[in-house]
Amino acid sequence: MNWGNPYMLFLLPLAVLPWLSRNTEKQIVWQALLPRDPISTFISLLIRLLATMTLAALIIAVAEPYIPEYTVQRSAQGAEVIILLDRSRSMDQPFARRHRFRLSTKMNFKESKRSVARYYLTEFVSSRPDDRFGYVFFSEQATGILPLTSSREATLATIEAGGLGRGLTKTDIAVALKKAGEMFEDQPYRGARIVLLISDGGQILNTDQERQIASILEQNNLILYWIYLRSVNGMTLEAMPGESVLWEGAPERHLHAFFKQLNVPYRAFEAGSLEAFSAAMQAIDQQHYQPIVLDETMPKESLADYFLWTAMICLLLVTLSQIYTLLGVLRAYQQPQK
Amino acid sequence: MNLSYPKRIFLTALLMIISLLMIMAALWMPPVDREVNVMDSLFVIDITDSMNVEDARFGNQTINRLDWAKEFTRQSILSMPCGSHAGLAIFSEARSLILMTPVEVCANYHDLMQMLSQFHPTMAWARSSEVSKALYTAIRQAREITPQPTVVFLTDGHEAPPVHETLFPKFTDTPGEVPGVIVGIGGSDLQPIPKTNESGEIEGYWGINDVMHKDVYASTRADAAEHNENRPRTEHLSSQKVSHMETISKRVGFEFMSSPSSPQALIRTMEQISDLRQQPIKYDFFVWLASVALLLMILVFLPYSLFSRQRG
Repeated sequence: MNWGNPYMLFLLPLAVLPWLSRNTEKQIVWQALLPRDPISTFISLLIRLLATMTLAALIIAVAEPYIPEYTVQRSAQGAEVIILLDRSRSMDQPFARRHRFRLSTKMNFKESKRSVARYYLTEFVSSRPDDRFGYVFFSEQATGILPLTSSREATLATIEAGGLGRGLTKTDIAVALKKAGEMFEDQPYRGARIVLLISDGGQILNTDQERQIASILEQNNLILYWIYLRSVNGMTLEAMPGESVLWEGAPERHLHAFFKQLNVPYRAFEAGSLEAFSAAMQAIDQQHYQPIVLDETMPKESLADYFLWTAMICLLLVTLSQIYTLLGVLRAYQQPQK
Repeated sequence: MNLSYPKRIFLTALLMIISLLMIMAALWMPPVDREVNVMDSLFVIDITDSMNVEDARFGNQTINRLDWAKEFTRQSILSMPCGSHAGLAIFSEARSLILMTPVEVCANYHDLMQMLSQFHPTMAWARSSEVSKALYTAIRQAREITPQPTVVFLTDGHEAPPVHETLFPKFTDTPGEVPGVIVGIGGSDLQPIPKTNESGEIEGYWGINDVMHKDVYASTRADAAEHNENRPRTEHLSSQKVSHMETISKRVGFEFMSSPSSPQALIRTMEQISDLRQQPIKYDFFVWLASVALLLMILVFLPYSLFSRQRG
């Protein structure tokens, strides 16, 4: 139990006042004139006790006792998701379009892959109330700017910020994946752990990087989803018969092949359009309703009301007795005039 | 106080009834809406190498500029009334990058602090520090956010590579359209700038021949000779560039504060220039009502007879 105004508790000694005060007693000539009445004695003691309780309860109420907010664990249906959103410059381009031998100077941010990704991520986060989200910011270095959190507002604000401005030139998916894995380290296992990579390009990893990524993903029981935003029309992650020879050694395909041979659940979604992207997000959404342990914050609870109730009931009785006394006294003082 | 017995009984009963009514009001009066002024803010923190210089005074100790910026941001967010919003951004190279758009400060304090604690020079995507351009991008991006936040730009003002006075990047927007404050960090003496490696550890200092000392564009102009004349080569050293920050803050219509002593000073300045919003908060008067009830009860039970006997 905590106190809002703890110094008010110094007033507690005032609660003995009713035992010192004689204001409401009548001075009489001789004690022996008073009839002995055990019930009266008892009642007057009781009234003083009630008055003491009123004062004590009021002082405690004014000191604002409360139970501070605390967390309880509750099980829910959901998952823990780390979002890796590619911030490279190519994400500023609209979805797969035909290659031109001319760079467009006008960027269309409205329909850029990054703003589309932001839009659907926002929908995804909003539709999953019990998930915990994390966010990795990466260029050449990766930083887990948003460690796993249940706060929707913080998650959405981070995703929204990811859609602002232009992309960065250099990005390194390898360090980002490593970082994503690290964010689950030293965390208790709460439920399904998902790494959601959204990018429009791949990267050829060296054996060192491959080994590190494989071990960190496997050790932390991660599930990997890759939403590949197609930047070249028609190119798929799997080789297709009769396709262009240029696509054979594409970095995207290398990355896909590496992910496939990993010992973790992995699924790639190829999105060449808005519809495909939203379908991919829906597919992920449907797959992950597994038990997850969540920390829920119980709000701070004020206890002042209990003391106010006590004070009110005690004071009500004291007041009633006082009114009764008043009526009696008035009658007594009126009688001689008649 | 010489009151007759019936009067005393009557007054006591009256005070008790009032006190009782006060307690009832404390229990049942609904919380009242009170309006507080809240604002939206965006803290942009310089994470370039010069921020590693340890010359920022914080109380009695000297800490590095980045830590100062982070601590100052933390305290500023803490000083804002609940309902205010704060966002976080970093600046490196020639642009600011928003990492979290403004969120409510009380509910998201933990997440804001988690993110703030991650800010480190390793996050930089390039090794230059073009303060004025970064400020312009911060302003441009702040405009894209609704409601539009007040920008707080924390930097030491060190331009690397240097910019010639006549070759400032142009500010094409309306000055003052986005309100903001530039918070200058660092001491007034030139200090060597620590060099960080990939994992963020400090490895020596930037040497005199590692950095540019002149604006490359100025050297191609007709008055280059004049420009190149015996100027001290000090760009590898860094101090708080007060006059430079004053100039750019004037250009974009911002306020400038050099090493403000308390976050309250910043909040006050921000309140003057920001579009404040009124946020109703629920306020429960029960403490005041209960206090009145308590006071009345103490008045009832004060042993007046003790005092009067002394007087007599």
